[in-house]
Amino acid sequence: MPGPEALADFLRDVRGGVEAGLDPLLAAQQAAETLPKQLRDAVEMVALRLRGEYHEDEWGFDEQFAEAVFPLFEFLYEFWWRVETEGATYVPAHGRALLVANHAGSLFPFDATMMTMALMKEHPLPRWPRFLVLDWAFVLPFLSTFMRRVGGVPASPHNAQRLLEANQVVMVFPEGVKGTGKPFSERYRLQRFGRGGFVEVALRTGAPIVPVAVVGSEEIYPKLGESRALARATGAPFVPITPTFPWLGLLGLVPLPSRWRIEFCEPISLAEHPPEAAEDRRLVFDISEQVRETIQEKLYENLVRRGSVFL
Amino acid sequence: MPEGGPRRVVITGVSSHWGAELARRLERDPSIEYVGGIDSRPPSTELGRTDFIEADLRSAVLSRLLPATRADTVVHCGILLYPEPGRPPPALHEINVIGTLQLLAACERTETLERVVVRGSAAIYGCEGAVPYLYTEDLARRMPLRTRFQRDISELEEYFANFARRHPELVGCMLRFQPEIGPGLDSPLVRYLTLPVVPTQLGFDPRLQLLHADDATGALEAATRGSVRGAVNVAPSGSISLSKALRLLRRPAAPIPHPLFGPALERLGRRLGAGALYGDGVRLLRYGRGVDNRRLREEVGFTPRFDATGAVRDFAERSESRRVLPSVHPGTIAERLAGAGR
Repeated sequence: MPGPEALADFLRDVRGGVEAGLDPLLAAQQAAETLPKQLRDAVEMVALRLRGEYHEDEWGFDEQFAEAVFPLFEFLYEFWWRVETEGATYVPAHGRALLVANHAGSLFPFDATMMTMALMKEHPLPRWPRFLVLDWAFVLPFLSTFMRRVGGVPASPHNAQRLLEANQVVMVFPEGVKGTGKPFSERYRLQRFGRGGFVEVALRTGAPIVPVAVVGSEEIYPKLGESRALARATGAPFVPITPTFPWLGLLGLVPLPSRWRIEFCEPISLAEHPPEAAEDRRLVFDISEQVRETIQEKLYENLVRRGSVFL
Repeated sequence: MPEGGPRRVVITGVSSHWGAELARRLERDPSIEYVGGIDSRPPSTELGRTDFIEADLRSAVLSRLLPATRADTVVHCGILLYPEPGRPPPALHEINVIGTLQLLAACERTETLERVVVRGSAAIYGCEGAVPYLYTEDLARRMPLRTRFQRDISELEEYFANFARRHPELVGCMLRFQPEIGPGLDSPLVRYLTLPVVPTQLGFDPRLQLLHADDATGALEAATRGSVRGAVNVAPSGSISLSKALRLLRRPAAPIPHPLFGPALERLGRRLGAGALYGDGVRLLRYGRGVDNRRLREEVGFTPRFDATGAVRDFAERSESRRVLPSVHPGTIAERLAGAGR
């Protein structure tokens, strides 16, 4: 940390710059040159952000913002859930790919963020993946803005197709609400994979499918029951009751520290099928079932390898 | 199919900003022998060789006037996106829907006609939280039509699509414009963005595509000269979030819980002369809307000069000197304090 003198010098320089007729933020940026490097970068970034000088892509993804919240999720990844990742290199380093995973964590599914962390930390050539999110989350204040800035996109085949055509890595959770809303007693039992829409998109864009098994997400908010009245009042698809929520209020939102394992499996290449194969219902169901079985198998395997749930 | 470019053009709604801009551009082109302008009131700025015809679009007299001009191209700029002085909200439905119907009826009587271009609105897609992030033209009416204006636009598009189907020999082009910005514009959204403190909706940060005014006129002109059929989105590439736009414009945001946003804006707007937002303005500033401009670029052959961020940047630069009210952005305040201490 710089001493008080460095800070005083800095403030004096800012004032000098402003008096010389500079924009105050620009003046701060220039004055920061005398500060130690780390602080200098921070000042410069804040100044640039306040002036609106940062990049957003057409989806509203803001890489600087995503990097800024990275440490929080890094803490969850490293210390809270002690995630072990396998097979991150199966995700192609270039070009499009569709990551298909099981979905769990009734109150707030963290699986997409943890998969993002796994890729960013374990992949030799990391890049930010995008994830499809339940529509309902996108009408909520704060959550919708946050999700969008870190790479979330409303679940719609149009969006998925466009992202893949732009050669992005896209994460989907075909179980959807059926996956997150299942009771604790049915944990790690895969639900129906929608109508296979993800296979259609993959066939149309020629993207390989990477099945992903996530173990640990089921125990973070064990769903014991649900409140129909609350769901009706808020318009939510369901409102879970967990051992801590809503009994402990905001404290009930703290997820339980289960141990996690994430396994990326070998990609399923669909290159042999032409884009028109997306119309072939039989093929779509077959591929969908193949992906589902792979994930289910890997889930059981990783459950055994994880051993104790919390320790 | 029409051969060559347009020669005799009639612009309805020529007294509107966009009608007058288009007329001015077409006047300069010697290959266009006649430019006619129809509106119910004279243009506010002087036009050159444009032949001004005073007529109300809603009246049947149009069916007599239009064939007499022997026009080969009709550009409909008479669709109002928001109420204006002398044109209150209830009149908008009449002007937009009935006016378009009368115009199409008059077009059927005009034997020399080759193409009809309508300056419509991307409001037909609505503003929803969870949607395709970049609408293509075929995705209209997927969402419920929530506001009166949206229903009007949808209705007149339907009439226009039917008209185009009945007359395959004509080129019918429906342009769906995203909201425009420019220092010379006097629209509710521009007035909103130039408020000294801009109220926003707490927790929401909509993705917007604000179209540069020059690109808006350019796209209209390109569509008039081209022969593209069907709906075409007119929007810049990319998108910009409201928070970033306000930072570029050096306008501090005042977040208000979203149920209070509409009434607050109305009250604040009346006091500052900005006026309320009309139609889906409130929803636009909550959820935003993005459309795909591939058809405009590849088929009409017009690439907007500014992308979404560029348009806001240019607007910020050019409206800097026009600031009437003092700015309260932290940056400018510090500047002032430093100046006072000298």
